[in-house]
Amino acid sequence: MSLTRIYTERAIHSRNGGPVVGVTSNTVPWDLLRAAGLRPVLLSPRRKETPLADRYMEDAFSGRIKAIFDFLISSEGERLAAVVIPRTSEQEHKLYLYLREVARQGLAQTPKPILYNLLHARSPEAEAYGLDRTHDLKQQLEQLTGRPIQPDALREAIAEGNAARQAIRALLQQRAGIAPRLRGSEALALIGAWYFMDRSEYALLAQQALREIETRTALEGPRILIKGSPLDSPALPAAIESHGAVVVAEDDWWGSRSAGRDIDTTMDPLRAIFEKYYFDAPSPRVFPSEISDAWFYSKASEVDGVIFYLPQEDDVLGWDYPRLRDYLGDRAIPYLMVRSDSSDEIGAFIERLRHG
Amino acid sequence: MAEKQLECTVRAAAYQKAWFAQLRQDVFEKQKPYAIVQADMPLELFHTMDVPVVSNQWWAAMVAAKRLAPHYLDGLNAQGYHEGLCRYCSLSLASTIAEDPAQAPWGGLPKPALFSARLTCDCIQRVFEIWAAKLGSPFIPLDAPGSSELPPRWWELSRYRWNELFESHRLDFMVAQFHSLIARLEQITGSTFDPARLRTLMEGVNQQEEYFEEVREMICKAPKTPVRMHEQVSNVMAAQWLRGSEWAIAHARAFRDEVKNRVDAGLAACPAEKLRLMWVGAGLWHDTDFYTAFEKQYGAVFVWSMYLAFGPDGYIRYGLDDPLRALASRTVSFNEQLHNPPWANEWIVDQAKRHRIDAALVLEPLGTRPSATGNLFIERALQAAGIPVLPIVADMVDARGWNGSEMREKVGQFLTGLSSSAARDRA
Repeated sequence: MSLTRIYTERAIHSRNGGPVVGVTSNTVPWDLLRAAGLRPVLLSPRRKETPLADRYMEDAFSGRIKAIFDFLISSEGERLAAVVIPRTSEQEHKLYLYLREVARQGLAQTPKPILYNLLHARSPEAEAYGLDRTHDLKQQLEQLTGRPIQPDALREAIAEGNAARQAIRALLQQRAGIAPRLRGSEALALIGAWYFMDRSEYALLAQQALREIETRTALEGPRILIKGSPLDSPALPAAIESHGAVVVAEDDWWGSRSAGRDIDTTMDPLRAIFEKYYFDAPSPRVFPSEISDAWFYSKASEVDGVIFYLPQEDDVLGWDYPRLRDYLGDRAIPYLMVRSDSSDEIGAFIERLRHG
Repeated sequence: MAEKQLECTVRAAAYQKAWFAQLRQDVFEKQKPYAIVQADMPLELFHTMDVPVVSNQWWAAMVAAKRLAPHYLDGLNAQGYHEGLCRYCSLSLASTIAEDPAQAPWGGLPKPALFSARLTCDCIQRVFEIWAAKLGSPFIPLDAPGSSELPPRWWELSRYRWNELFESHRLDFMVAQFHSLIARLEQITGSTFDPARLRTLMEGVNQQEEYFEEVREMICKAPKTPVRMHEQVSNVMAAQWLRGSEWAIAHARAFRDEVKNRVDAGLAACPAEKLRLMWVGAGLWHDTDFYTAFEKQYGAVFVWSMYLAFGPDGYIRYGLDDPLRALASRTVSFNEQLHNPPWANEWIVDQAKRHRIDAALVLEPLGTRPSATGNLFIERALQAAGIPVLPIVADMVDARGWNGSEMREKVGQFLTGLSSSAARDRA
């Protein structure tokens, strides 16, 4: 099966390879779950309607969180042995509380919810707390499976995850420089597939895809960086590229920043896993902004224009927009802000970039 | 503006105005430090260090009451902050960005020595970072781990068994952050933190909240409520922002005494009281007359809001051998207690029963989305307890889009329906 199909289908199979455990974000340590003998899979169901969630969850929640909640309290959720939810956004903590509440009141059955209390502010206290909570998560996973997680299993899982990260970075190389070969709409699917499958299999399929991409000729058109709400669909890059531009990067955990650096294999494996997710994983709660903005500032200097994407449901990243807009303005980097992927302004913006 | 029935209410407003004038004078003339903080911060640490605090939410309510919110929020939007962003927690920032002290309430906010906030919803760190940069003051955040153990009837444990109610690792973490905050306050003030002074202050807070509890009990038990909801709020919050201080304790006692006198004299806030209403959510600060608008025609009186009721249950802590840890237990879960299941829904239903509530109006603040969570569980729980619910879609500070007469009509229809069904039940 191709990576694009895996990304599109987002299927959850109860196949061999251990119990399936859902995760809700990039900041749940895949490697630790894998070492526990579990099969982690990202929950990001595509649902036009969320009738079950609508009974309990307000419209203040994002469509993605509502869809996850709807999935988990439906019969589909029964395929999961548990769901691990990180404290990576306020909505995710509330998702955790809502799951517990519908179960407590007997309103629905849910997979066992596990909160991973990873914090994202950079402080000695938050770092120490996060490491403790990573030890706590390990214990909870051991209770779930009924067997201890061995150091060798941790090292093997880290190696498996790192191989996938290396494969993603190789794909990202095809988007770098002045002559990219990989469109953003395609890249999102090729990269995003890694959240829905075993990572050893992912690395193999990504390498196959890479070999084909390397034979392509360079793409032409203004190179665009997207900044804003995480893109769990290729609709926006596809809309931008339909006007002749090439999306070469996204500042979110679905695209360019999904893999990041490898997990350090020279230190205690659990500490190394924690440090990966604390120091090198995008989250809306990373603080201070000079740290959360650093990647954007670096990447913005490599592109022809930036498109900010702040959909109607955004109530967080809009606070960052004026600061980042001013940064670009000071450096004469063109930008556009859109509230929907069908904005009429996209074509005109690309046209302006084409003509300098 | 509705009449003030209690002398205490007038005195509370006058004191707050004088307090703020003194703060401005101290800052401008004596260069004394003060802090701007989120409402759910451990204000007690600042008070112990003699650093006055202005709460973000108090100032936002002031701005809204002066009808300045639309002007300030329009200005914020004009700078590129879109209209879907939280308004309650950013209105004070908007008032700073506007840079018009002549128009601002009481001359406006001077530059603080520091900003501080708990990182609850994801926008707070952003609002405070922008605000701190705007005024050139440091921002000290307290991160906020999520709770994972939530015994439903938390208020039965919070006074004596707080050490087991809130998870140990969360309390340890909060205390560790307190030490960093204290170090910063020591740096700013040049003073040394005194745990004994904090303990004394915490004992004062207990005393203050016990007075509020007496008022709450009188409201529960009196045939008709002796004090309107919005006067409860004025008196309680004036003291809560200064909690544990001599003035706050004395004011709480005076409030208790005045309410008791009214009960003893058989005085009701609304002698024609027929329906007892509950307001769930933050106050409707831009239209507080809304809370008395249904008395004359419907005999419907707002008797409950979280502001008085939460004081005793949320603040009292007995066993102050380790005052920092006790304070941490007061600080770590405000959000869960007031807005999240199971704590918010269980507590509000219990309160509704104790206050003999006939119907609840639940604020659904679409302009302040993080505060909108938990509402459906609350509404379901109230309805399951036999209490009709009317959701009120509005923002607590932003009057743009608020149509007061339409909303009064809508509530009137709801109350008419209640009266009809009550009549049917009686028949």
